[in-house]
Amino acid sequence: MAINAEADIQAACRAARQLAETLGFSRAAAYHIATAASELAANVLFHGGGGWLHAQALFDAQTQQALGLEVLALDHGPGIADIALALTEGYSTGKGLGCGLPGVKRLMDDFMIESAVGAGTCVKAIKWR
Amino acid sequence: MTTIALQQVLHEQRSALLTAWITQVAALGDQHSVHEHALDALLRSLFDDILGILERQPTANPSLEHEESLALALRQLVGEQARHGSSASTCVNVVLTLKHLMSAQVVTATDVTLEDMLWLEQVFEQLTLLTVTAFLAIRERQITQQSLSLLELSTPVLRLWHRILLLPLVGVIDTVRARQITESLLEAIARYEARVTILDLTGVPVLDTSVAQHLMKTIDAARLLGTRVVMTGISPEGAQTLTKLGIRFADVISRATLRAGIAEALLLVGQQISPLEGKR
Repeated sequence: MAINAEADIQAACRAARQLAETLGFSRAAAYHIATAASELAANVLFHGGGGWLHAQALFDAQTQQALGLEVLALDHGPGIADIALALTEGYSTGKGLGCGLPGVKRLMDDFMIESAVGAGTCVKAIKWR
Repeated sequence: MTTIALQQVLHEQRSALLTAWITQVAALGDQHSVHEHALDALLRSLFDDILGILERQPTANPSLEHEESLALALRQLVGEQARHGSSASTCVNVVLTLKHLMSAQVVTATDVTLEDMLWLEQVFEQLTLLTVTAFLAIRERQITQQSLSLLELSTPVLRLWHRILLLPLVGVIDTVRARQITESLLEAIARYEARVTILDLTGVPVLDTSVAQHLMKTIDAARLLGTRVVMTGISPEGAQTLTKLGIRFADVISRATLRAGIAEALLLVGQQISPLEGKR
């Protein structure tokens, strides 16, 4: 799903919530996933200048059961110079509150971030069932 | 150039073509009979414009963008159709109907050349493009207007009691809406000299940092005008998410339900709701 306007953030948020609910996540977990998707999408738009957000279910190879949900945010923006600093509570380059990325990390179970200055940023967050 | 044959055919069949077109367009969709006269006049003027173009010397690439009167007639026609809920294909069909009628006439004529047919084809291609563009422009405008009116509808500031305002927030809060919410709330606070404002978040689907940030700014501004803010309707999941995000609403009274919020607000202005019997 492409993120290029504010309306796309809400659409991504809705889509992530729907996917979480169809996978049988609890209401609270679905809410967490939706919020995380919304935060990541907002980051993609405001810091990365637009990009993509993918949400997909992770299945067990043998039993075909849904194990979790993965949210992947991608942008080709300026990148993050100091990832540790970006993950620090209350630190923000923009006008935000500075709790987006650390918040997503707490909301989700697994969190990975890769970034290269000048090339873009990729954030992957997983919530297990 | 051999357009004389085409011109002749079109000239001879002019009135027959026009009548046939009007009848077929009327049969096309469920055109409302009330507007038949207006539609007739529009089709007539459009017909004249189209014939005017067809009677010209063929050029390799006919551009109709500078045909003011044609574009105007087409826009009016499409506008009329769009207002009555016709689809884009119906609008295009109106133009294509005329094309079919004309080609049927032209094919049967004796000395019409391939160039003539090509010219007819090109002109109608451009006409179709213009029609679609006009239709999309009208739809676009409708959407913009609707979203504007939705925006106005969606932020009612209610006067709950003397000096108590209620702002029920329903739906997604983006930057534009947040600004409007703040504006209308501050205006209402100043007008009613409100002491307490209840901010009901029951209808907000997801509370994330951007929504929280918008709310904080609104609350801060409201406080500067001397009103206390009572937040209500944060769902259990929402509360959990907000704390996990690390967002803190300092100095804001929060109640789980609107009912508790109203009780709190009344208390803040020294009132309460009590049963009638107790008073007697």
